[in-house]
Amino acid sequence: MSSSPRTRFAPGSIWAWVLLASIAIGLILTVVTGSVGALFPPEAATAQGREIRDLYTIVFVIAAVIFFVVEGLIVWTVIRYRRKPGDDELPPQTHGNNLAEIAWTVVPTLIVAFLFVISWQTLNNVEAVSAEPEVTVRVTGSQFAWTFDYLDAGGNSVAKQTVANGEGGILALPVGRSVQFRVHSVDVIHAFYVPAFLFKRDVNPDPDGRESVFELTIEESFAGEVLRGQCAELCGLGHRKMTFEVHAMTQADFEAWLVEAQQTPSPAPSGPVGTTLQLVAKDITYDTLELEVAAGEPFAIEFDNQDVAGITHDVDIRLADGTVVANTTEIDGGTSTTYVYGALDAGEYTFICSIHPVPSMTGVLTVN
Amino acid sequence: MTSDSHALTTTEHSPVAGLAHDAHGGISNPILGMLLFITSEVMFFAGLFAAYFASRAAVAPWPPAEFEHALEPFSLVFPATVMLVISSVTCQIGVNAIRRDDRAGFIRAIGLTLILGIVFLLIQVYDYGLLYAEGLTVAAGPYGTTYYTLTGFHGAHVFGGVIMLAVILYRGMAGQFSSRHHDAVEATSIYWHFVDVVWIGLYTTLYWLR
Amino acid sequence: MATTAPALTPAASGYRSGLYEWLTTTDHKKIGILYVANSFIFFFLGGLLALGVRTELAQPGLQYLADENLYNELFTMHGTVMIFLFIIPMLVGFGNYVVPLQIGAPDMAFPRINALSFWMLPLAGILLFLGFVTGGAAAAGWTSYSPLAQDRPLGSVGPGQDLWIVGLLLIGTSSILGSINFLVTIFKMRAPGMTLFRMPILVWTVLVTSVLVLMATPVLTSALVMLFIDRNYGGSFFDPANGGNAVLWQNVFWFYSHPAVYIMVLPAMGMISEILPVFSRKPLFGYKAFVFATAGIGALGFSVWAHHMFTTGSVYLPFFSLMTFLIAVPTGVKMFNWIFTLFRGKLTFSTPLLFALGFLSMFLIGGINGAFSAAVPVDFALHDTYWVVAHLHYVLFGGSVFGVFAGVYYWFPKMTGRMLGEGLGKVQFVLMFIGFNLTFFPMHALGLSGMPRRIADYASDAGWNELNLAATVGGFLIAASILPFLWNVFVSLRSGKPAGDDPWEGNTLEWATSSPPPPYNFDHLPEIRSERPVFDLRHGRAGSGH
Repeated sequence: MSSSPRTRFAPGSIWAWVLLASIAIGLILTVVTGSVGALFPPEAATAQGREIRDLYTIVFVIAAVIFFVVEGLIVWTVIRYRRKPGDDELPPQTHGNNLAEIAWTVVPTLIVAFLFVISWQTLNNVEAVSAEPEVTVRVTGSQFAWTFDYLDAGGNSVAKQTVANGEGGILALPVGRSVQFRVHSVDVIHAFYVPAFLFKRDVNPDPDGRESVFELTIEESFAGEVLRGQCAELCGLGHRKMTFEVHAMTQADFEAWLVEAQQTPSPAPSGPVGTTLQLVAKDITYDTLELEVAAGEPFAIEFDNQDVAGITHDVDIRLADGTVVANTTEIDGGTSTTYVYGALDAGEYTFICSIHPVPSMTGVLTVN
Repeated sequence: MTSDSHALTTTEHSPVAGLAHDAHGGISNPILGMLLFITSEVMFFAGLFAAYFASRAAVAPWPPAEFEHALEPFSLVFPATVMLVISSVTCQIGVNAIRRDDRAGFIRAIGLTLILGIVFLLIQVYDYGLLYAEGLTVAAGPYGTTYYTLTGFHGAHVFGGVIMLAVILYRGMAGQFSSRHHDAVEATSIYWHFVDVVWIGLYTTLYWLR
Repeated sequence: MATTAPALTPAASGYRSGLYEWLTTTDHKKIGILYVANSFIFFFLGGLLALGVRTELAQPGLQYLADENLYNELFTMHGTVMIFLFIIPMLVGFGNYVVPLQIGAPDMAFPRINALSFWMLPLAGILLFLGFVTGGAAAAGWTSYSPLAQDRPLGSVGPGQDLWIVGLLLIGTSSILGSINFLVTIFKMRAPGMTLFRMPILVWTVLVTSVLVLMATPVLTSALVMLFIDRNYGGSFFDPANGGNAVLWQNVFWFYSHPAVYIMVLPAMGMISEILPVFSRKPLFGYKAFVFATAGIGALGFSVWAHHMFTTGSVYLPFFSLMTFLIAVPTGVKMFNWIFTLFRGKLTFSTPLLFALGFLSMFLIGGINGAFSAAVPVDFALHDTYWVVAHLHYVLFGGSVFGVFAGVYYWFPKMTGRMLGEGLGKVQFVLMFIGFNLTFFPMHALGLSGMPRRIADYASDAGWNELNLAATVGGFLIAASILPFLWNVFVSLRSGKPAGDDPWEGNTLEWATSSPPPPYNFDHLPEIRSERPVFDLRHGRAGSGH
């Protein structure tokens, strides 16, 4: 066996140090990342989020202790028990130790039992839903837009905000009041996620329109803050763009905002137009992909969105290189509008739904 | 220590040639393999049944009003069920026959099993035609989708069983089986019983618990 | 394979060389090598897909990819290829090669079915990649959640998703047939004296893994056929637009795909459980406890699937939380068994041991950061963020992939008769270890600060720029670590140091035959009186301390 790698590399305790250096690099990465506070979630903006953050902290401390003890044990063992060159004697052949094995079965069981109990307690608090919430928002997810309906006691929408491709309205919420969210999707699965809430909930489509319900209360100290929200479940092409902004407001500001939001007028068409074209959208598809207008004069498109409520569309006009010539406001499923466009030079343009830039909603506009 | 290792190096070595066979009279490799394969098939149907019950729980009423009388337990499916149950018995008669080296009895019984299996399939195809005419299609909502998926995959398994029966019938007629050598027959018969049991589960679930 | 075949074939062993022999072989060792080689090919392809993802994410803004669809295809195929065409078949390959040798059998129980199982894999791989040239590969994530995976505008139109389903059906069938083969082989073909509790730990882990495959994979098969019916025949299983149930897919899918995690990690645990004792010159500490822990993980593995679904709002959270916490216990038992195998040993730092230690130290992190998600409210924050990406890679890369490389360095001499170079092996280890941590550790922070998975781009003011850049640099470092490995294999096959029968002073039966072994594996078997027959042969019973 003199030529075996074992004897050949026995002096190579240098490799123990290489291994150690690698682990040290790993630990340095840990410290570097940790030192910027990045191994903790953001400051929680809701009462529920604060409970989650407290739970996270407990789990983190236990995890860190276990990590350093066990990883330390590995490193120490590796350094301490290197085989010395020329040492051919067998170490003691221990096959096990009942006491030790029982100990390292029982102790982890107790630790996970403790973690389970405290996370169950937190879960009960986080999941609690009151019978009469102070504010109710229905959240409708669609590809690739969020619709936020503010409901009155009868469940009717009194104000509506639509955020398509990350642009448009906002999710305004009052601080210090319980807000009930009722979420559902009209197409694929989305997820309502606000990192500062430390919370997300899948936004599921359901044949009977069933909603998933949860409740949050924003902390008073967050009044005036703007928080990022985003879809967290892969939902197709525009998944990355399904962002929204949460505006935390004092109760007075929120009331004022709500009144204003109820009265938002829809923009009326103005000015004389030449041609008026018809366009229908249904099943994420325009009924025609070829339109023609005369050059040099304004024109209009009467646009009818026949998809179900929650699926918004618009009709933008772009150049071949993607430059936006006309940017229209999207309308909700089940509604129609008339878009008025300025005069265009002769040539070929693209008309496209900016929310659904797929082949079935990308047509050619020929201007003669 | 030295004497120990000396003793070890001179111990008799095991002949390798004997390993492939089962020296202890346990079940043979093909039959154990078939039992394990059936375990996996049970899990496959468990997945389909789980989907069936989940769909059923979410749809009210079940069956939907327009298909309330589509699946009657005493329609054409009843004789088909009886035939499949009988075929399990004839299959077992065939296995018992070959265990006694009764080759003629084996061929008669397996031939009958094969015919019953084929007739079952023909009835199923005919029944599908009737149901389609009534509007119960795969695309007719969860009721149709689950019905055709469950019975369709069962039918595919019956078809597989029919092929296996045809093969052992052919091999039996060629005189390849005896009381000592008929693992393929045992394996086929286990599979055929399994297919039968699945059908009883399906018939009960789809036609009685509807 | 044509180029490597002659080098792998010793002149005097009676093998016929040549491409035809490799294409038609039913020898478990050749099939095992085919599995390993095929898996490495897909490892490299899957790695390239990952580099595509990391390159796009290096900076905010869409830089390299024409549109999000290609991005979605890249990460979908990366996950699918790494799980179904790399890790699972790679471990099956090692099992195929090593298990019959370790139990003293001449071959697998069903050699022709064994060959069939293997040849389904390259076919499935071709089908999966065919999507790229037929209008787009599958792009709904490796989990293919319905309704996104349904055939509808903005869903998954085109043949890519159907090819994905058919490819996975083939792979699943291959796995099921393979598991039956392993179980019959292990139950029926052990050498005389090889009782169940004298089986090497790798054989035990393959046994438990095979039970998991046998029970779980058919459920995936049923899910896939139902999705196929939905997509192609107007079925109503998973599409709410047709009256179906979207969460049902997740239940059925995860009923397989959570046990699949153990399918991907148990055999790797078995491999390092062979390696640690050999290089510390001690028996595995607590053999029986280890066996029971393996069985316990297998059993509990079936009751935790819904921890992937905590945020759906439609599973009973406390039960799945408890089960998920509990499964940490047998895993912890194993960790201590391994450490106390090293404890008071005499460690030789050959490359297999380095990778095995890499497994220990990294899998530990993968276990610990998994416990966070078991605490349901914490999971509400972490689910579907980059934290989960970090967690799963610490388990599957830090665990399984490091285990695979430990196994490659350990058994390459047995498979080829040649040693892999130690120097290049250590260079690979150091590069891979650093690259791995640089890639995946920052993802914890990314996830905590709210970066969701599967987004092609992110806002430049979200504070994610530096960490993403670090992860991308790490990804390229991992890719760089593959180069010394490939060079090492190439050089060693041509002119590596001859290995001899037993280069590591091994414990188990594969080291009692020639390297590579003859077609029927053994001329003679030593007497088997413990789980270390070759150790007993070398040192006598006194050495084993009984």
